Amino acid sequence: MIGATRRRILITGGNTGLGLALAKKLSGRHQILLSGRKSQAEVAGTLPPGAGYVVADHADPERSVQTLIAGIRDLGWDRLDNAVLNAGTGMMAHDGLDTVSAIRETLDVNLVATILQAQALFPLLAKARGTLTLIGSVAHKGSANVPAYAASKAGLHGFARALRSEWSGRVSVQVLHPGPSKTGMHAKAGYEPGRIRALFLDADDVAAMMASAIAARRSPVTISWIRYFNGGAFTGRKL
Amino acid sequence: MAEHLLGCGYEVVSLDRNRPCAGAGPVLFIQCELGSRSELDRVMPEVIEAGPYDLVLLNTGINATGAFETVSSESHQQILRVNAEAPMVMASRLLTERAFTPSAALVFVSSLSFFTGYPGAASYAASKDALSAYAASMRKTAKARGISITTAYPGPIRTDHAERHAPAGADATRRMDPGLVARLIIADAVGGRKTSIPGGANRVFALIGRIAPKPVTALMRRGIYVRLK
Repeated sequence: MIGATRRRILITGGNTGLGLALAKKLSGRHQILLSGRKSQAEVAGTLPPGAGYVVADHADPERSVQTLIAGIRDLGWDRLDNAVLNAGTGMMAHDGLDTVSAIRETLDVNLVATILQAQALFPLLAKARGTLTLIGSVAHKGSANVPAYAASKAGLHGFARALRSEWSGRVSVQVLHPGPSKTGMHAKAGYEPGRIRALFLDADDVAAMMASAIAARRSPVTISWIRYFNGGAFTGRKL
Repeated sequence: MAEHLLGCGYEVVSLDRNRPCAGAGPVLFIQCELGSRSELDRVMPEVIEAGPYDLVLLNTGINATGAFETVSSESHQQILRVNAEAPMVMASRLLTERAFTPSAALVFVSSLSFFTGYPGAASYAASKDALSAYAASMRKTAKARGISITTAYPGPIRTDHAERHAPAGADATRRMDPGLVARLIIADAVGGRKTSIPGGANRVFALIGRIAPKPVTALMRRGIYVRLK
C-alpha cells in the first residue's frame, strides 16, 4: 500500500532540477537510486543522504538502459516500486528552427531512451506491481521556442496513453506535465526568461505535487499554478 | 499520393527505400533508408537541390504491433527514427535552406491514433504524437516564410502496411481507399488547412477521442490490443 512501506524508487535525471528536488523529498522514507550525466565526483555532497547514484548518459539510449539495470542489480534490488523517468534536455531553437543535432539529441534523451528504459524496467516494475512515471511538460501541445522538445514530450504523452492501457493491472503508467519551474533547465536550453521567471513555481513545490500525483497513479496530470492554488503542494496522497 | 500528384501535373520527387511502382509515371527517385541518420544526411543536399517545392508531404511511417514489452528495442528505435526524427530533420533542413516556392505547403502525416491512443503500438503512437506537436510548433516559423503547415491524421487505410499490423480477422473493407485518402489530404494541404482528417467516420471518432479520451483508448484496447495477443 502506498504510504505504508519503504519503496524502492529510481529517478533518472536525479542530480539536478526537479529530479533532485523529488529525490530530496522522498529520500527520508524510501530507498532511492538516482541517475544522471554528471560524474560521481561532480555530484558528491549534492545528493540526499543514502541515495545511490549511477552515471548514465541518456544521449546513448541503449547504453543508458544497460547502466540503469546494472545499477539496480548492484543495489541488490530484485523489484522496483517506482520508476520516475525524468531525464530530459531541451535546446532553444534560433529563428524557430532546431538544428539537426538538436532534434536528434532531444529525441534520443527525452523519448528514445525513456521508451527503451520503460521496456527494460518492465519485469522489475511488474514484480512489485509498481508505477512507471514519465515526466512530460506543458509544452507537449507545441512550442515555437522549443519545437523538438515539445515533440519529444508529446511523444511521451502518446506513449503513456497507449502503455497505460496495455499494462493495466500489472504496472501503473502515468505522465506528468510540469509547468515552468525555477530550475536551471531554461538557462541550459539557452533561454533567459528574465522577469517572467518570477512566475515560475518553486522546484520544491513542483516536486511535492509530483510526489502526490505519483501516489495517486492518475494520468495525465498537469502540474501548474492551478494545482498549486488548490493546495496541491501541501495536500493529496503521500508517497 | 505520387500518382495523384502526377495526374495533377506536378513533377514529383520521391524519397524512399524502394522505387515507386512503374505505373506511377516519371518520378525523380532518391533512394534512402530513412531510419539511417548517415543516409539521410547524405541525400539531403540532393533533396534540397531538387527543389524548390510547391508541396512537401512527409508521409513516411512504419509500425510494429504487439505487446510493447515483446517488441524488440531495435524496432521501437527504428519506428521513432523513421516516423518522427526523419520528417522533423527533413522539415528543419528544407525550411533552413528555403527550399520552398512562395505559398508552398508542408504536410506532416501523423495518425488518427493522436486522438484515440493506440494500445498495441505504443512507440508508433509516441512517434505520431511527437510529429503532431512538432507540426504545431513549426507553424508560426513556416508562416513567416509564406509556407502553410497541414497535419494529417489518417485512420486505417487499405494498404499492405495496415494488413500486416491489423489484428487477425479485421475487416479490411472498413479501411479507406489510399487514393481517396491521398486526394483529401492534398486538397486540404493546397487549401492551407491546419488539419486534415480524411473520412467522416474518422472525424467523428477523432471528436469523440478528444471529448472522452479514456473510453476511446479502452475501445482501442478491446478492438486492437486484446485481439493482437
